[in-house]
Amino acid sequence: MASGVDALETMPVSHDARAVRWALRLWFGALMIFLYLPIAFMVVFSFDEGATPGLPITGFTLHWYDVLLDNRSLLRAVGNSITVATAVAILATVIGTMAAFVLVRGGIRWPNATRIAFTLPIMVPGVLIGVSLLIYFARAADLPLSLGTVIAGQLVFTVPFVVLIVASRLQSFDRQVEWAAADLGASPRQAIRHIVLPLISPAILAGALISVTLSIDEFVITWFTIGAQPTLPTYIYTRIKFGVTPEVNAVATIMLVATLLIFTIASVVLGRARRRPDRRPAEADA
Amino acid sequence: MSTEIVGGAAVAPPASPRSGRAARLRQLAPFLPAGFILIGLFFVPLALMFVFSFWSTDVNLDVLPVWTLENYVNFFENPGYVRTLLKTMLMGAGVTLACLVGAFAVAYFLARYVSRRWARFALLLIIVPFWTSYLLRVYSWQAILGEHGALNQVLMALGVISEPSFLFVYNDVGTFIVLVYVYVPFAALVLYSSLERFDFTQVTAAQDLGANSLRAFRHVLLPQIRPGIITACIFVFIPILGEFLTPSMVGGASGLLIANLVANFFKNALIPEGAAIGFMIAVIVLILLIAFRRYLRVEDVYARG
Repeated sequence: MASGVDALETMPVSHDARAVRWALRLWFGALMIFLYLPIAFMVVFSFDEGATPGLPITGFTLHWYDVLLDNRSLLRAVGNSITVATAVAILATVIGTMAAFVLVRGGIRWPNATRIAFTLPIMVPGVLIGVSLLIYFARAADLPLSLGTVIAGQLVFTVPFVVLIVASRLQSFDRQVEWAAADLGASPRQAIRHIVLPLISPAILAGALISVTLSIDEFVITWFTIGAQPTLPTYIYTRIKFGVTPEVNAVATIMLVATLLIFTIASVVLGRARRRPDRRPAEADA
Repeated sequence: MSTEIVGGAAVAPPASPRSGRAARLRQLAPFLPAGFILIGLFFVPLALMFVFSFWSTDVNLDVLPVWTLENYVNFFENPGYVRTLLKTMLMGAGVTLACLVGAFAVAYFLARYVSRRWARFALLLIIVPFWTSYLLRVYSWQAILGEHGALNQVLMALGVISEPSFLFVYNDVGTFIVLVYVYVPFAALVLYSSLERFDFTQVTAAQDLGANSLRAFRHVLLPQIRPGIITACIFVFIPILGEFLTPSMVGGASGLLIANLVANFFKNALIPEGAAIGFMIAVIVLILLIAFRRYLRVEDVYARG
């Protein structure tokens, strides 16, 4: 980080301040090692010949990736995860975006309370949502647990994400653009479709991508609402509990790459949204 | 419709032709699916959990709608359960403190000594692990802390220990380390966004006026970033009250937390017992969330990246 020169850094500083800065630099490095060490191990072990992942590394192999491709039940779990994530992303994005419009543009009696109510499913630990849904589906509504109940369970926290992200974008939206469209003869519907939606699309896309990422990774709520068909995380969890399975590291590595891809797309999209001139400066930082 | 034109743009909203009950319903309609999910799939199930926590099970594990306080009484009469609850609070407090201290140093470094460009990049590096599979990140800690894990191998190679030690895994220490690992990115993110807005010349000014670094820190910096610190505390402490995956993977039998009790009761179909504990956690969480509702900047934490 040597190139990060700040105005303060060129000021005369005491010997102590220099030591502090070095200590902080080391601390930053230590945190990076702490954060990436487990991930590095996971990736390295996925290419390790040994059947029990551990040091020392015995040799390079692609065997575990090969094992994966032959594992029918794992591939089925991947398929289930993709089904769930697709359904969750589409439903959450549509439902959340619609609600965000009402929330920001009036019609809701207590907009602030409603907004806080939408943060609750995000903040309340998944285990509580999971077990209460289990009671609801299995004991009260008498619904058989299936991928459908998993989708419903995941919507509980993905819809609020979309609502909050889109609402925060709509809040800073310059309505004069829309009124100008109305003035030029556009119906409210046309103005929303041709003016508002394209302008807030980065936020909608970000909401969709966050929904996909969270859905694919979601374990806790899924664990309580799942029927006989596992998703990838619940399948992996059962395998891990069952015993040491080196191919799990290969799955993990593939998932890591997939998540990084989605994540990169999301940051590019959000970054573009952030550079839009009509955002308020305070939010441009968020 | 008369519209005032200033600089070529309409500045007045078009007059709404609709009014009355039907129009209001039409206006609210797009909100209904989300409202249904929030109420029907979040609040109603939580309320149901509350009701079930006062019911009992018969020998066939069927839930009987007979009102009783038994599930709560049983919980508080079992010293093991109460100890687990207290331990969870303590663990939450400890992990929160560790995350705050660890993340503050990093956020401070990035906000004060590193150019904004590099700080953004560093922050991205901190967030990336947080977006990768939670389950697999926890699992990979077994390869480090476990019996044949890297830590034991290194310590054995150094001659510190002669046989694999279980000091770091399958107990509270393992749970603590991994929870800090899982939540430190949250804390770093939140603390950085409040430090980023802080004008560090104020600290310099305070020092020029004779305050030592510690006093400048306490009286100038700390009061201004307090909201960020509170947000960070909430984002770390509350999820820990519901953590059951990390303890179940690296906590062993002694490192279990309160949510493990809930999960175990439910897996054994002892629903009212599990519901009682679940409801107690929910009450603690909801009280904290409502008390600190001003600090719940969810969009800031998640939509950043």
